[in-house]
Amino acid sequence: MLFPWQLQDWQRLNAERARLPNAWLFIGPAGTGKLEFALHLAQSLLCEQLQADYQPCGHCKGCRWFEHGTHPDFRRLSPQTDDEEEGKEAKPGRKLPLIKIEAVRQVIEFAHLTAHRAGQRIVVVEPAENLNPAAANALLKILEEPPQDVLFLLVAQAAQRLLPTIRSRCRQFPLSAPSPAQALDWLRQQGVSNAEAELAHNGGAPLFDHDPVLAKLRSQFIDGLGQPTFASILNLAELVDKQKLPLAIPLGWLGKWLHDLAGLSLAGIVRYHPEQQAVLQQLVLRCDPVALMRCQDALQQLAPFGQHTLNTRLQLEALLMDYLKIFAGGRQG
Amino acid sequence: MSYQVLARKWRPKRFADLVGQEHVVRALSNALNEERLHHAYLLTGTRGVGKTTIARILAKSLNCETGTTAEPCGECSACRQIDAGRFVDLLEIDAASNTGIDNIREVLENAQYAPTSGRFKVYIIDEVHMLSKSAFNAMLKTLEEPPAHVKFILATTDPQKVPVTVLSRCLQFSLRNMTPQQVAGHLAHVLEVEQQSFEPAALALLGRAAAGSMRDALSLLDQAIAYGMGEVREEGVRAMLGAVDRRYLFVLLDALAAADGPRLMAEAEQLAQRGIGFDSVLAEMAVLLQQLAMAQTVPAAIADDEPEREALFALASLIAPQDVQLYYQIAIHGRKDLALAPDEHAGFNMTLLRMLAFHPAHAQPDSVAAPRSNTAAAATRPAPVAMPAQPDAGVDGSAAARALLAGLGNRKPASRPAAQEPGTAADAEPEPAAPAPLAAPAPAQPVTPAVSAVSAVAVAPAEPVVTAPAPAVIAQAAPSVAADDDERDDEDETELDNTAPWDETEAEEAMPAYAMAEESTAVDAAPYQFDGDWGGLVTQLGTRLGASRMLAHNAVLKGWSQSRLELAVPDSFRHMATRDYQEKLKTALAEQFGHTVELVVTIEELGLETPAMQGARHRQEQLAQARICLENDPVIQQLVRDMGATLIAETIQPVQEL
Ligand SMILES: [Zn+2]
Ligand SMILES: [Zn+2]
Repeated sequence: MLFPWQLQDWQRLNAERARLPNAWLFIGPAGTGKLEFALHLAQSLLCEQLQADYQPCGHCKGCRWFEHGTHPDFRRLSPQTDDEEEGKEAKPGRKLPLIKIEAVRQVIEFAHLTAHRAGQRIVVVEPAENLNPAAANALLKILEEPPQDVLFLLVAQAAQRLLPTIRSRCRQFPLSAPSPAQALDWLRQQGVSNAEAELAHNGGAPLFDHDPVLAKLRSQFIDGLGQPTFASILNLAELVDKQKLPLAIPLGWLGKWLHDLAGLSLAGIVRYHPEQQAVLQQLVLRCDPVALMRCQDALQQLAPFGQHTLNTRLQLEALLMDYLKIFAGGRQG
Repeated sequence: MSYQVLARKWRPKRFADLVGQEHVVRALSNALNEERLHHAYLLTGTRGVGKTTIARILAKSLNCETGTTAEPCGECSACRQIDAGRFVDLLEIDAASNTGIDNIREVLENAQYAPTSGRFKVYIIDEVHMLSKSAFNAMLKTLEEPPAHVKFILATTDPQKVPVTVLSRCLQFSLRNMTPQQVAGHLAHVLEVEQQSFEPAALALLGRAAAGSMRDALSLLDQAIAYGMGEVREEGVRAMLGAVDRRYLFVLLDALAAADGPRLMAEAEQLAQRGIGFDSVLAEMAVLLQQLAMAQTVPAAIADDEPEREALFALASLIAPQDVQLYYQIAIHGRKDLALAPDEHAGFNMTLLRMLAFHPAHAQPDSVAAPRSNTAAAATRPAPVAMPAQPDAGVDGSAAARALLAGLGNRKPASRPAAQEPGTAADAEPEPAAPAPLAAPAPAQPVTPAVSAVSAVAVAPAEPVVTAPAPAVIAQAAPSVAADDDERDDEDETELDNTAPWDETEAEEAMPAYAMAEESTAVDAAPYQFDGDWGGLVTQLGTRLGASRMLAHNAVLKGWSQSRLELAVPDSFRHMATRDYQEKLKTALAEQFGHTVELVVTIEELGLETPAMQGARHRQEQLAQARICLENDPVIQQLVRDMGATLIAETIQPVQEL
């Protein structure tokens, strides 16, 4: 599947088909559909009745196998994840398992087999930054001199995160992120309620899990942050605890809130909470940027433990106390 | 026949087709022609400079049916089979995907048997740094006493990871990075043969972006041909490469110096839209800050041909040394924190905002004029602001530096009149011009000690070393919080631990050692007596010079007494001698002398040596000495005589000691 904002990229890519590289490296921000693009290309390369504009037909043998995830000439090299995560892009800020060398060896073996169908063999590597060093090194040779008709499609957020030796062997292809209007249109078509705020809260990247229950909790949480009193802070910690949310979720919410507070205070920008502009503006009057950075430090220290089952409430309360201190001094003249 | 990528299609099949590795080719050719063959070779160098290529040609040289030769025929069955990758006596092993000891054992067991059809059994072990310890050990035995018919050719990008015991049994060849000119020249040749039209300027851009690697260059060329629909034009290549120069970094730091939050954020947005990775932005920013610190402490260490020299010094005069240091720490830590941020853009913004939060304009209104206040102390005196503060007068006054920064990106920044209105000049869209090579300030490049064990052939990267190795030059005590204890209010003391943005020790690891020696020497109680040694005084003043550093380093002493100094500054540094800088210099002098000193600065060329020139001269002298040492070194003399090695004088770096 292609997203509406990828149509031009698709044209641009098709123009390159006469000169296929050994490996394409697709680059773009998280949550903008890079993996979907790479998979669409893979299907198109495996389709046996290509339509106009190189679109896969969707019903030939190749397409049906591909859609069922059983195409014998296709492999996907990704970290081992839970089934429910399958098909989604890497979430920022979450430690994902790595792609290990054993998986790479299997892919190398696969690449040296002869094709089941007459066409190409395709390997999608995603996210390429999750190749551990041994795995990345093990890919070098096959990327440089792949067997006939083998094509690698790598997907990454930033080329700089890959080994220079990997980068050197790929043809880079930057993928477009949607414009705010495109992202909003698309979200509305998906029936996402409160699309504008949701999009802002996800930093403008339209592909995210939309969970109305969580969205409601978040708005309660943000409201609480907007009224930094001792009582409201305790309520917030309790609220999160009751829902048995992993710490990572409120940490994410607070992180974005701190960003906007610092952004408005020091640079006049709001990224995640445009609908809260008035509230933020009030808080900024009492905000001590240095105390804010201290709170941010405390948050960063907790971040690696976001999925651990430690006492969420206790941790969150301590963190929110640091948050209160941002406003402790009152405005100095 | 499907399309073959250029890097593969154009992999050289003969030594004569190799670009930029003449020194290795010469040594190997001599050895081959005289049949002085070693049993194990190690080829090192960055990605895509020809290691595997040389290994394969060498395999042909050893097995060509016309006899051992530096010019394998390419037509006999051995040559053709090697080119096709199916010669039975050539075993190409990818150490990275076969890291286990079993594979190596298997290989070595086979080594005892005589070759099937060739003269030699050749083992090419690529990415050899990826072998496990036990695999290396298994290999050692064969390396020590190899059968006469076995040749090993090892290749790696990372010789540091190869055990010394293995290294010492190999004849090592270091392949050079290719210069942008060599790359561009080769690309032109490729395109002519491929019958593709191109603009030379486009190839020059690709040459720089390739950062020394021919494979990178050819991959980029493939991309450029695709991008330009078969045409390689300058405009298209420039758009494709995005930011290959560091101009954006200067813009960021300039906005930071002016405490211009909105401009900082707008610039971050620009970077995101251009698809420049924030991780690399922060890494590059740290490198630039390190260079700034260098420009402030040892201006002479900044090479004359440093592409952004003027902008560097302009920026160095805008940011107080201790802020440079603080920003450096924040950049390093911000990089680590990127992965923890809600998204990279937010993480990057937060890092810039943190720099702003600790900016003198926010933390302490007058600290630009008094650059002695240490960062932690400044941090405890926050002055919260609702909206971005106006840059204060001290910063605003540096119009010349500002104009210079604004002119960055012009073909000849120096020739641009520096008298424009700073505001308009800064807003002008810098015209993209000759971008600097991406790899120029490679921080990872180790400082090669000049007089030290040199492996078989003494070669170094052919790139001119643009950046002086910052951390090595001024190895004084790292800044310690304790040094400023006396300046801090007691009540702030307890706050300090929490205020420090991060763990001190961790920060110190990552910090370049800045010259902070004067912090301890300045405690001297006896009244200061100036002895007419201007250079010595400048050294003593060190970081206390702050923004007046450039003025002080480029002035000569015309006349003096204990209450009056007369300085002369050459016309080329006129912009560093404005009243602002003079005032700052006076402040520093007053502190040193213990009383106000009258300062007279004239613009004139006296032909005398300035402290900056003195520093440069010392460096040259050290260099000359290092060179003599090397040339007289018996090991190197032997290498030159027997191996055809050449000493590349311009790559010698003296070990900097203080
Ligand atoms: Zn189909
Ligand atoms: Zn031959």
